[in-house]
This record gives sequence, structure tokens and C-alpha cells, in this order.
Amino acid sequence: MIAENTQTQMRKGILEYCVLLIISRGQIYASDIIAELKSARLLVVEGTLYPLLTRLKNNGLLSYHWVESTSGPPRKYYVLTQEGKAILHQLDATWQELVYAIETSKKVADNPSDNNTVKVDKP
Amino acid sequence: MKKTLNINIGNSIIYIEEDAYEMLTAYLNEVKHYFSRNADDFEIVTDIENRIAEMFGEILREQQKQLISIFDVQAVIRQMGSVSDFESSENEGTGGSSTEDFGYPGHPGNTMKKLYRDSDHAMIAGVCSGLAHYLDLDVRWVRLVALFTVFIAGSGILAYVILWIMIPKAETRTEKMNMRGQETNLRGFANSHLEPWAMQSKSFLAEFFDVTGNFISGTGMAIFKAVAIFIIAAASFFLIGLFIAMVAFMGIWDADVANYFPFSVINQEYFTVLTVSAFLVGGIPLLALILFTVRVAFSNREVNKTLSFVLLIVWLAGLAPLIIYITKISSEFKEGAEFSQVSELQVYPHYTLIIDRTRFFSREDSLSYSIDAENYKGKRILADIDDEFKAPRNVSLWIEKSTGDRVSLVQNFRSRGKTFQNALKNVQAIHYDYLQKDSLVNFSPMVQLSKDARWRGQEVALTLKVPVGTRITLSTEFQRYMSGNIYWECAEQDRHFDYTELIMTEDGIKCRNEAVSDGAE
Repeated sequence: MIAENTQTQMRKGILEYCVLLIISRGQIYASDIIAELKSARLLVVEGTLYPLLTRLKNNGLLSYHWVESTSGPPRKYYVLTQEGKAILHQLDATWQELVYAIETSKKVADNPSDNNTVKVDKP
Repeated sequence: MKKTLNINIGNSIIYIEEDAYEMLTAYLNEVKHYFSRNADDFEIVTDIENRIAEMFGEILREQQKQLISIFDVQAVIRQMGSVSDFESSENEGTGGSSTEDFGYPGHPGNTMKKLYRDSDHAMIAGVCSGLAHYLDLDVRWVRLVALFTVFIAGSGILAYVILWIMIPKAETRTEKMNMRGQETNLRGFANSHLEPWAMQSKSFLAEFFDVTGNFISGTGMAIFKAVAIFIIAAASFFLIGLFIAMVAFMGIWDADVANYFPFSVINQEYFTVLTVSAFLVGGIPLLALILFTVRVAFSNREVNKTLSFVLLIVWLAGLAPLIIYITKISSEFKEGAEFSQVSELQVYPHYTLIIDRTRFFSREDSLSYSIDAENYKGKRILADIDDEFKAPRNVSLWIEKSTGDRVSLVQNFRSRGKTFQNALKNVQAIHYDYLQKDSLVNFSPMVQLSKDARWRGQEVALTLKVPVGTRITLSTEFQRYMSGNIYWECAEQDRHFDYTELIMTEDGIKCRNEAVSDGAE
């Protein structure tokens, strides 16, 4: 139960970060975001993405515009706003810190005897 | 062969099979319900619908077909995710209550079981199988217990009927799943399709009770409505009658009503108040009955509390004066008074007594009917005593032996009143007439009261005193006026119906036939 809970919390935080990362590469359609997330083995069902996108949009991180589709209804294409880009920048920094924290923790765990001698480059 | 539907989802027209449509609708309702907590629910649901439409389009194009089947819908829902999948990723922002079950991608639900009747597995109406689902017992045990309770003075039967009425039947797929405690999400729906409950054959008994139950609830409702309409019609009729009566008693329609018994009891000055009170006391329950019946039978609206209170208050307001005046009027019957008047009659050996509908034209009549006595000589007023009941019988006759050779008529006038003086005053208001024309004595059928005098039990007891040997012929009307049974006894012996003959003997009045046969002996 604890393990599942922690996994969920980890995934949740990273999912938002990844979505912002994917969108930051250029305007993108929701189902392409899903395809990318799936290839990254992060998202299991599509329905989860729509509330997330809506929330990010309402917080001013994203904006979208309609693009006519040849094969169905018009599609929403998402792009990052300036604010979104700024936040993504912050998240990048946070991510580096997290990576450092994890790596440091792991190394200490691997070599518990000489924890004073470990040297890792700070990002 | 399957029925297909034509739906518009995300601005695309999609042909879909009926079972697939049902599943899709259930899924979308679930999604809508889930996101209704969210401020942006409309936008999210629209996005999801658009995406589903797009996926349908892709499926149709890829598989070169025209129609979305239930398997396509299942695939789409699998891709889109069920509500329980959303739950696990949507708890952030609220502080992430970490103790919850966050099984990812789905968790075995904390679904609430609901009590329904399981008509698909019913013996009678599905109460037992419904209870079995709810209690997680094998239905056989529930039925065994139920059967056992039937033998406890049949209480099981009553309980069964009550539960039958109270517990709703599981009709929709969602209800059936709730009944079983299954999750009402994709997996639940998928299971429900794998297990075709609706196909299960019902027991013959269950089918029989199903049909009769429908029949009873159908015809029962119709009969109930018919009864309700009858009640409404009858109550309305009485209400209208009551209103007409009120108008009549108020003297608007027919001023003479007040002079008929029992209304002649009521003092003139109380009349209006009493009439209105009686109307309210009688009419408001009728009105309430009509309103109540209409509400119960034809609408489910709550009864208006203010209206009920107003009706109650008005009814009490009508009841109070009614009680007060009835008490007042009854008190006017407390004391009795009587006086007698003796008049001599001319002596004949044989009298014929008749009661004539001819009213004697009195001074009172000339006043009350505004008839000039001078112009009215020789004409008679007929009182319709046979047709109308104006007052209780207030004339009685008895025949006695006189002491001498004289013939006399004693009139005893009686009345009641609040005090003796009052009663005596009422006695004096009595007018009674008789007329002797040779041996024919003509009696008036009833006492007359002075105009505006109220009925206070006024009556006249007549005693005719005749010497021994006097023969008396009584007309047939006297059967109603003679004290005792003498008229009946003699009429039986006489065997004729329009008169009877009596004779005065030393031992009192006797039937003539009897006296003759006595003399012959």
C-alpha cells in the first residue's frame, strides 16, 4: 500500500513535468502527447490527460488553438505560454536537484562505510 | 440481427449498435458524474467526447466498416480509462490523502451495495434473491428462512408483501451491478456483458407473479382513481347542496323554510349566524375531502400547510357559535307549562269526528298571509298535511265518559320554555281550532303558532267527554291522532278502512262491534 502510494505520488509529479516537456518542443495535439507519454511508458489511460491539460491551461501554463482536421472534428493544439516556459525552467532545476538527491542517496546506500569520501558534482 | 443507432458525438455522426450505445452512454454518464466535481467539467468532458469520436473514426477507417460494435466501445474505453483510473491521478491539489487506496491503474472498488429485488432470479418477486445479494448469502438459505417464517402465523407472507412493495426492482444494468456490489465502471460493464442475466429464464411462478403484479398495480390504480372520482363528485354535490341550503335558510331563496321543523326551533335572531356556522362546519370537511382526494389520486404535490391551517381555523370558528347557540336553544326547553280550556258541545247521540285539511281561517292567518278577512269569507285554505312535514305531531285525542249528560271538549295546551313564565307565554301562542256543525265535529290537524313564535314542543291534548251510550264515528285520519291503540283494534274488527265506530260504555270507550256482541251475550 505504501509502495503503491509513493509510486503514484512520484508518477503524478513527473507526469506534469513530462507533459510540459513534450509541449515545449512545439505545438502538439492531445493524442500525440498521449502517444509520446505511452512510448515513455508513463501514462496508461488517455482520460487522465484531459483534466491535467485543462488544469495546466487554467493555471496559465498552456494555451491552445483549434486546428481543422482532415479526419474528424477540429483538434486542440497546445503550446506553452511564457509563464509555462518559466515554470518549466524552474522544474528543470528542481529535477536536477532530485536527480542529485537520488543519486547521492543511492551512492550512500551502496557504500555505507565511506559516506564522507563521496564526491558528486553538484548541478 | 442487431438494432443500430445513429449518434452525434463530437460533431461526428456515428452508426453504433444498440448494446454498444448503451455501454457508451453509461460510460459517458459516469465520466460526466466524475468530473462534475471539477470546475472545468464541461471542457474536460467535451475533450473526451471529441477524442472518442476521433477514435471511432479511426476504427471505422482502419477496419473498413460502417458500424461501431460493443467491442470497439470496450477498446475505446480501455484506452480512455475508467473513472477509477482517473481517481488515482486526480487526487493531487487536495493535499493528496495518502491513506486512500491508490491501486494504479485501477483499484477494486469500495462500492456500496444497494438492496434491490432481483427479478431475474426470482421465485416470486425476487425479494429473497435480492436479500441474498445484499447479505452475501446463498439464496437457498434466505429462501429457507423465508419459508420458515411463513409458518410463524404467516408473518413471512406479510413481510414478503411489504418488502415487495418497499424494495425497488433492479431494472437497469447499473442497479443490477449495485445490487451485486459490483463497480459501476468499465470492468463492471464488461462483466455484465459477459454474464447475460437478462437471458436467464425465470421460474414459472416468478413469471406468473410478475404478470399478476403488473395487472394488480394497473387495475388497482384504475379502480382507485374511479373511487377517487366518485368521492370527489359526491363531495362536490353535497357541497353545492349545502350552499343552496345555506342560501335558502338565509332567506334569500325561500323565506318559508324557517317555519318548518326542525328549523322552526331556531330563534329568528340566531338564524343567520347559525346558518353560516352550520355551512362552515359541514362544508369545510367536504372541501378538505375533495382537496385531499384530488391530491392523493392525481398529483403528488405536498398539501399546502397554510391552506390546511386556514381551513381548520375557519372550521373551528364555525363550530364555536354552533355549539353556543345549540346550547342556548336547548336551554329553552327546560321548563314546561300547561293550561286547559273546557268547551261545551251541543249534545247529539251520535257524533262523527273528522280531521279536515281545511284550515280554519284565523286572525293569525289574515296577518301572516296578508289576507283581508272580509274578502275571504266562504273560501277555505287547505293545509297540505299529507305532503309536508311541518312539525312533529302536536294534536292528540282521547275519549272519556262524562259525568253528566253534557258533552264537552277539554283542550290541554302544553309548551316548554326557558322559565315557567316563558313556557306559559309559549302556551298562549298556541292556536287550535275545531268546529261543530250539528253532530259533525271537525278538528284541525295541527296547532297554529303565532307568527314568529318558535317551536318549543307546543302541543294540544284533546279530551272529548261524552255520556254513556254515545256513538262516535271516527274518520280514518284519526289513526294518527288517537291516543292508544283503540282505533287500530276497532278498525280491525270493522273491516272497513275509511272509518271506524266506537261507543261509550260504563267501562269507558269500546269498539261498537265488541259492545254489540257483549250486549247480545
